[in-house]
Amino acid sequence: MELRDLAVSIVMLSIPIYVLAFLLYVVRIVKGPTVADMVIAVDALGYDLAVFLTILAVLFRVPFLVAVAMVLALWIYALDIYVAKYLEAKEVGA
Amino acid sequence: MIEGVLMLVGSVLILVGSLFDLLAALGLLRLPDLYTRIHALTMGTIGGAVLPLIGVALVAAGWVELGSYRWYLAGAAIVTAILILMLAPAGSHAIARAAYRARSPSPSYVVIDELAKKVRGGGR
Repeated sequence: MELRDLAVSIVMLSIPIYVLAFLLYVVRIVKGPTVADMVIAVDALGYDLAVFLTILAVLFRVPFLVAVAMVLALWIYALDIYVAKYLEAKEVGA
Repeated sequence: MIEGVLMLVGSVLILVGSLFDLLAALGLLRLPDLYTRIHALTMGTIGGAVLPLIGVALVAAGWVELGSYRWYLAGAAIVTAILILMLAPAGSHAIARAAYRARSPSPSYVVIDELAKKVRGGGR
């Protein structure tokens, strides 16, 4: 029983670190000098948002949030491939 | 007892993954160039997304009060972890390749660029 409470408090401790990382990623998205820099920052933000959704699903006991996380991971990969296609065809700036 | 140990191991994995994530965000903010930033990005996706997803699966598998939904949570978290493990390197590699081919000058610290002759000299 004490082990469970300790585990929940450790998970609670990791939430502010995730929020700080999100803020730093948003700074890179706003600053990013080229399109590719913005896209890799959006990549990292999206994957970590998927992880954050699963953590919230466990903490709030809402199991349906996990399906959202899986779809989000697939969409981030689709964003990668589309941006790579148009970068390589030189239709958007480097 | 075993459920408590599972939850403890999973929460430690989540904490380590959040630290990886913070390091990746600092690297993405501080490193000077796109290719070095991709290095920080892949550290953030494998260490900061796959590792805490496995931790979430362990925590959900150990939480008895969730009922039978805990196996749904654990299985979906494992599947998402395997998806990210397959997709993140492919996506970052595609971005790096496209950025190299779209950008005309090489980075300033590169001494020898053998790929440039192949890409810009003789076409694709």
